[in-house]
Amino acid sequence: MKGNVYTLIYAAVLGTICALVLTFAASFTAPYKKANAEAEEVENILMALNVPMPEDVSSEKLVEIYNKNVQEQQRGDITTYIYKPTGAAEGALAVRFAGPGLWGPIKGFLALDPTLTEIRGITFYEQEETPGLGGEIVKESFRDKFVGTSIRDQAGNLGIIIKTAGQEAPNKVDGISGATMTCDKVQQMLNEAIGSIIEEKQ
Amino acid sequence: MADQQLACATCQPKGLCGGKGILTLKEGAWANNPLSIQVLGICSALAVTNRLENSLVMGAAVIFVCVGSNLIVSLLRKRTPHRIRMIAEVAIIATFVILFDQFLKAFYWDMSKQLGPYVGLIITNCIIMGRAEAFALQNPPILSIVDGVANGIGYAVVLAIIGFFREFLGTGEILGHTIPVFSKWYTPNQIMILAPGAFFALGIVIGIFNWIKGPETEEKK
Repeated sequence: MKGNVYTLIYAAVLGTICALVLTFAASFTAPYKKANAEAEEVENILMALNVPMPEDVSSEKLVEIYNKNVQEQQRGDITTYIYKPTGAAEGALAVRFAGPGLWGPIKGFLALDPTLTEIRGITFYEQEETPGLGGEIVKESFRDKFVGTSIRDQAGNLGIIIKTAGQEAPNKVDGISGATMTCDKVQQMLNEAIGSIIEEKQ
Repeated sequence: MADQQLACATCQPKGLCGGKGILTLKEGAWANNPLSIQVLGICSALAVTNRLENSLVMGAAVIFVCVGSNLIVSLLRKRTPHRIRMIAEVAIIATFVILFDQFLKAFYWDMSKQLGPYVGLIITNCIIMGRAEAFALQNPPILSIVDGVANGIGYAVVLAIIGFFREFLGTGEILGHTIPVFSKWYTPNQIMILAPGAFFALGIVIGIFNWIKGPETEEKK
């Protein structure tokens, strides 16, 4: 009986100490983690908008670049991020998109040109697609294929196509072979985002 | 476990464990290397070794956790009730792992994202639990720290070797830096940074370690 009491007290004390240590660690690192998450979002928006930024920048610097170059604007339900560079270069407008992927949610930012005719850039900040197949959507080589893609087909209908096969078209992006499901889902969520931003514009 | 012969209570009076320290160090890092000889903890060894940098951070994490948990388990070894010793060990290990994870998340965000769940999964790494059970429970704190360092290094070195070759062959780079001349003509062999490359590399490393060590281990079994 005495042994049981000791065991219980031991477990309670050890558990409490471990919990205290972890609570302290979590509250100590919380502001850093928040800053990191913020910087990551900002970095994704900057990347989608193709805002020039130096390599290996600190998170404070990223937020600074963001505040200097990007304006947030509410259009109906959609928050748009507008980049207006100084000088002759054309800016871009980004929106957040999200939707179900093959294994989990996919989220990212889509940037269009100011007249809303073609894609300027795209980034994914959350995805759980199959590594090596659908997971390749985060690769620069895939994301770069979107740049310059028209958001309408030749007949003027809204929407882009992500497919490996088929004829070249101004609104077609070469898909990833072996990741048809992911490509279809990304296509669907991008077209939804494109649709809603065009609707809001009108 | 082959190191039960080390489990002694008489080694305290003679300086730093009277030569037991060196023996423990050798045992953990080489003769009974957790990865290449005992083939423990290979899940993380396969998963995070696609880049040398990841391998080094993972190795550091395991050294930190192994030393920390060995120390605490050893300090508490006479007070821990036998029946709940494993739960106590897991609680201690988990605390150290989460501390490291929080540290990475706060100060090395990109690295934390690359390692993903594997830092957290150190909790279930059998090397750590194995050292706590087999060594720290029977040995004094200082010797337990030595054992933690030895096994952590044993794991980290093998990980670094695998990480080095996978990154070198898979991308033609080292620590993310291109190598002059070599990177230009070398065509990266992508399979090395994907899962099959991990199996090839780990298998070859285990083979080489055992080949150097000679047939002695087989007789022991």
